[in-house]
Amino acid sequence: MSVAEAEARELEIEHVGGGLWRDAWERLRHNKGAIAGAVLLGLFVILAVFAPLIAPYGPNERVAGLAATPPGPTAEHWFGVDEQGRDLLSRVVYGSRLSLLVGVVSVAVGLSFGMLLGATAGYLGGKVDTLIMRIIDIVLSIPGLLFAIALVTLLGRGLVQVMLAVGITTIPVFARLLRGSILAVRESDYVLAARSVGTPGRGLLLRHILPNSVAPVIVAATLAMATAIIDVAGLSFLGLGPAEAGLPEWGAILADNQDRLQASPHLVFFPGFAIVLSVLAINLIGDGLRESIDPKLRA
Amino acid sequence: MLRYVALRLLYMVPVLLVLSFVLFAFLRALPGGPAIALLGERATERDLEVLEQRFGLDRPVHEQYFGYMRNLARGDLGVSIRTRRPVREELLDRFPATVELSIGAILVAVLVGVPLGFAAAKRYQGAIDQSSLVASLIGISFPVFFLALLLKYVFAVRLGWLPTIGRIDVRMLTAEHPTGFYLLDGIVTRDWDAFVSAAKHLVLPAIALGTIPLAIITRITRGATLDVVSEDYVRTARAKGLVSSVVNRRHILRNAMLPVVTIVGLQVGLLLTGAILTETVFSWPGMGSWILEAIRFRDYAVLQGGILFFVLVVVLVNLLVDISYAFLNPRIRYR
Repeated sequence: MSVAEAEARELEIEHVGGGLWRDAWERLRHNKGAIAGAVLLGLFVILAVFAPLIAPYGPNERVAGLAATPPGPTAEHWFGVDEQGRDLLSRVVYGSRLSLLVGVVSVAVGLSFGMLLGATAGYLGGKVDTLIMRIIDIVLSIPGLLFAIALVTLLGRGLVQVMLAVGITTIPVFARLLRGSILAVRESDYVLAARSVGTPGRGLLLRHILPNSVAPVIVAATLAMATAIIDVAGLSFLGLGPAEAGLPEWGAILADNQDRLQASPHLVFFPGFAIVLSVLAINLIGDGLRESIDPKLRA
Repeated sequence: MLRYVALRLLYMVPVLLVLSFVLFAFLRALPGGPAIALLGERATERDLEVLEQRFGLDRPVHEQYFGYMRNLARGDLGVSIRTRRPVREELLDRFPATVELSIGAILVAVLVGVPLGFAAAKRYQGAIDQSSLVASLIGISFPVFFLALLLKYVFAVRLGWLPTIGRIDVRMLTAEHPTGFYLLDGIVTRDWDAFVSAAKHLVLPAIALGTIPLAIITRITRGATLDVVSEDYVRTARAKGLVSSVVNRRHILRNAMLPVVTIVGLQVGLLLTGAILTETVFSWPGMGSWILEAIRFRDYAVLQGGILFFVLVVVLVNLLVDISYAFLNPRIRYR
């Protein structure tokens, strides 16, 4: 076999994968962690979608009397009841709706604005780039939760405002990531080729540059969803979360009951572990995605 | 090198100026002023006016800003509208508490994370490696406040091994605190009871705050070690017959530390965020709980001083991290 033949064969072998996305999907399917995460997240999605069918009671339904130290798990109430006599299992099940919503909406906010800024900075370059990146540097020097606290104080404490606040804090991350990725792709040969056959600027950005730059952003978006859930729970814990009365938000349940830790620890444990499991599920998927998309790991 | 540091320090000036201005404008834009927050909804117009006049809140915003900046240049951060104490004094009380907590957390993270990540990489895909990956993934999935509550429940409430709240036994609050760092104070004043008490109070908050950095540092150390072990110079070192421990220490670990230092530096911002939550759970009298209280009471002076000071610390630490590269890696030269 000549060297040229060997090279041709190697190229062929590389080609069998069928592009980045199919390759990534193949890797993802064989990643045990990602599968476990997907199953776990699937369970939470089912809980969220079918909450009224799964939860034995309504989230704010009184099923027992008021109690200063409400009883823990029993056969009738698996997760016990809270101080207002509401079934904790039902509240946690309904809470999954809020957490998933919070994760998706916050990331959607951060992603859309972040990508817009990052693409503008990376594609236009020059003064626009410098200006956008300087602002982003400053914002990044303020820690996320502190920034979110400030935004919630300004915007008010509704569910929508809280999601918006947490979403805004993720903008710089996405903007920076996409910009870096675009800068790397912009100078590549295939973009030069597309430019030389006369592809207009818009087509160049949308058809050639963006699709090849978004891989790291997708991974970051997945992981940001986990962070968003934790941050909203953290805001609730500090008494700055969604203020709508009776909202079964996990962080809020936990915060309301932290003083009962000694007598009724179940009120802290169940919502707490619900947060951990849902975040873990998303992190497992995000990790698997990173491993399957990262070009360094591609064989 | 000196030129580089000087430039970086100079660059901080406009950043902090812009931030101070934005912060000032932002605070004034918040709904509900400090007078209302302090005196309550039922305060009369007259009461509000008197209070606002006393703290200069009735003056035009730009006048307030320039007045504030003039005082700031003289090191005067104003007076807390809530406690009526100078902000600088309160800052000097609170800052050591958070630094002590953060250093404890970083120690937990580095002392456990670096050896663990190293061991995992040395036995790549082995039992330690796999379990450290799973453990670190679980670690970053725990909200700080929930972990803090769990630790408090198990080790303080159930087992009673460690105290639940505060920095030191209340009976020792009157002990001498020349530096404000209670552990250091214990050593300086040779008050060993105070030292032990402060150390016991620090354990749980430090573990709670250190867990997420621990998980991240373990992963970074593992990844960096894996990158380095396959380098030519490591093979050369082995080939020339160096003992394994020397290769590990001088050739692998030293080179793998570079990204770890970056990550430790980046954690500083994260630590304050975590500190707000950890300090709340353990009633730790630090910067986090201070700023949180200040937000509730719209305590402008505290918020301005506290947040500006905090950002200054983050920026300075990042600079220190960048400088430390030059020492760790002679290939890097700053111009």
